[in-house]
Amino acid sequence: MLEAKHLSKHFGATAALDDVNLRVDPGEIYCLLGANGAGKTTLINVFLNFLDPTEGEARINGLDVTQHAIETKRHVAYIPEQVMLYGVLSGLENLRYFAALATGRHAPRAHLLVLLSDVGLDEAAALRRVSTYSKGMRQKVGIAIAMAKRTRALLLDEPTSGLDPKAANEFSQLLRRAKDDGVAVLTTTHDLFHAKQTGTRIGIMKRGRIVADLSSEALSHTDLEALYLQHMQG
Amino acid sequence: MRTLKLVVEHEARLLLADRTLWLVSGLFLLLVSYGLFNGMEQAAVKENALGKVLEAEARGEASRRALLVRILNNGAMPDPFGNPTDPSAMGGGYGSRYAYMPISPLASLAFGQSDVRPDYYKVTNRSKISFIYDTEIENPWNLLSGHFDLSFVIVYLFPLLIFALSYNFLSAEREHGTLKMLLSQSLGLPTLVAGKIAVRAIALLLWAAVVPLVALAIMRPEARSLEHVWPLASWAAFVVAYGGIWFALAVAVNAFGRSSATNALMLVGSWIVCVLVVPVLLNVAVAIVRPAPSRTELATRTRLVTSDALNRNAELLAADYQYVNDAELLRPKDGKIVVAGRMRGIYLMEKDVDRELEGLLDAFNVQLAGQQRLVTRYGALSPAIVTYEGLTALAGTGIRRHLHFQKQIDAFHRRWRDFFDPKILNGVAITEEDFDRMPRFTWTEEDPAVVQGGVVTGLLQLLLPAAGLLAIGLWRLRRYAVV
Repeated sequence: MLEAKHLSKHFGATAALDDVNLRVDPGEIYCLLGANGAGKTTLINVFLNFLDPTEGEARINGLDVTQHAIETKRHVAYIPEQVMLYGVLSGLENLRYFAALATGRHAPRAHLLVLLSDVGLDEAAALRRVSTYSKGMRQKVGIAIAMAKRTRALLLDEPTSGLDPKAANEFSQLLRRAKDDGVAVLTTTHDLFHAKQTGTRIGIMKRGRIVADLSSEALSHTDLEALYLQHMQG
Repeated sequence: MRTLKLVVEHEARLLLADRTLWLVSGLFLLLVSYGLFNGMEQAAVKENALGKVLEAEARGEASRRALLVRILNNGAMPDPFGNPTDPSAMGGGYGSRYAYMPISPLASLAFGQSDVRPDYYKVTNRSKISFIYDTEIENPWNLLSGHFDLSFVIVYLFPLLIFALSYNFLSAEREHGTLKMLLSQSLGLPTLVAGKIAVRAIALLLWAAVVPLVALAIMRPEARSLEHVWPLASWAAFVVAYGGIWFALAVAVNAFGRSSATNALMLVGSWIVCVLVVPVLLNVAVAIVRPAPSRTELATRTRLVTSDALNRNAELLAADYQYVNDAELLRPKDGKIVVAGRMRGIYLMEKDVDRELEGLLDAFNVQLAGQQRLVTRYGALSPAIVTYEGLTALAGTGIRRHLHFQKQIDAFHRRWRDFFDPKILNGVAITEEDFDRMPRFTWTEEDPAVVQGGVVTGLLQLLLPAAGLLAIGLWRLRRYAVV
């Protein structure tokens, strides 16, 4: 579903991505770990065609993202680290617009309210202007937007950033449900615990390369932490 | 199309929820209303003045005709300074007629040249210079600052209001982080840009192009006639095309992906260059390439020529005032009349002045026409010049219509003098029938094909750069750095 083949992205002499090969199949949650500047967000941006790769290709549902920019985005939903919305509109109105852009039609109000309720925003909050929202509330609207799109792939760039523990846990459950429904998920995170809890596979990125590609089941929390620190120090 | 509609709806909602649109629209509506109000008031003043002038002319002519009949029937004694049977008096200021350019029903839309060029002249058999620079002197303050009319609002202020709404239409999305959210949906950047610009264009063009025409149609019923549909539609097309250039510039500038502050600087800089600097430079260049003859030289030459003519006709001008004491001498006998020596002398002197200055006055007109040709040719360097020329031409206040009027005045002046010349020189008295034979000014409107040609050229001069800017914008959008 999500595939990177010999993917490289250079900014001048700096290699943000260096020969990255990755494949996330339906029903998989691939958690990318790595220090700041390791290239995790760059990888997501290449998949979204926000950045052109220097070499290699990124494919969504078998289509090259650079050649089928609009088409590939129909198959993928995205939640950034900081969900930014229109402050003068309510959460419901934001969801209505982004969901309509994704699906090409306006969803019924009741359905949108259910989506917001599922991510922990009640109707009163949904009808408030987003300018009054906390970062966590905006993040929840972002999750609702991604859910409204009902895609077969999810690209998540530190999606639980700013969420309280309860909301982060609920989000993990949402991801697991998506996995059970056959959705392919590629998520970046700094949270080792979250990665172990949620991911089916875990990749560790360093200086633009995936230096470890592990099965979550075969690792304990301690193993993962040790392995991660080993790679970071090496 | 469905996505574009969604973007348009959303953008409209955002703009309506934001105070900027209300502020900009309110301000613009105020400026448009004030400009239009000024235009209507000025047009009404001019119409009123012209109406009074023509009314006075008709009244005076009826009175002179009646007096002529009474004199010929020995019912009245000829007045040496107001004798309708005397061709030198009738051809001079006493019996002169007006040449006038009708005020167009669309004149309220742009003052144009009517600030500095009169719409009517009192034509006599004297030197052209004696009446052409002597009519309807404007308030110098108005001449210095210009009137605040709708064309000023459109040409100078409209672009600034477009910038206020558009300078950051894309950069703000990137700076606020919403652009990534938008473009992660199945939405292309060109569609997003098209939707955002469409909403802003509709909002402002409604005030700029539609509201003035509706107001004009309500306030000036004659503007509603079928013959004015084309000029009104062309006027609206000019406003739309001019707005189109600035919106296209906003697209191109935003497409380079700079910050909102940089965009604002680039747009205002472009406005200063296109609206202020280029017209001034073109004015200077035109004055260098086609310099107009010096006004000082004209005044000096006029004095010298007048002095020479005075000397040449000194004998006639020194004739005594015998007619004051014996007005009976001025009564026509067998169709002949004794034209007073002084009146004949003045006529001959003025004729000399006209002949001597004809070349210089022609040079003024030739240079003015040449300057106008240069402005038309190189005005495309500034959309402001093209638009101003187009708007004033359609409002009937442009330089070309005034030059057209000038030619008709020249022709009428010649016909007027040719009519009275043999009568003055041969002492032929004016009869009642002559009142119907005296030349009467008949206004001939500009050739519509010329006006239409100018409109098409002007619109192309606006639309082609707008298309070029849009092409640059679209090209840059393909390389737009979303992150």
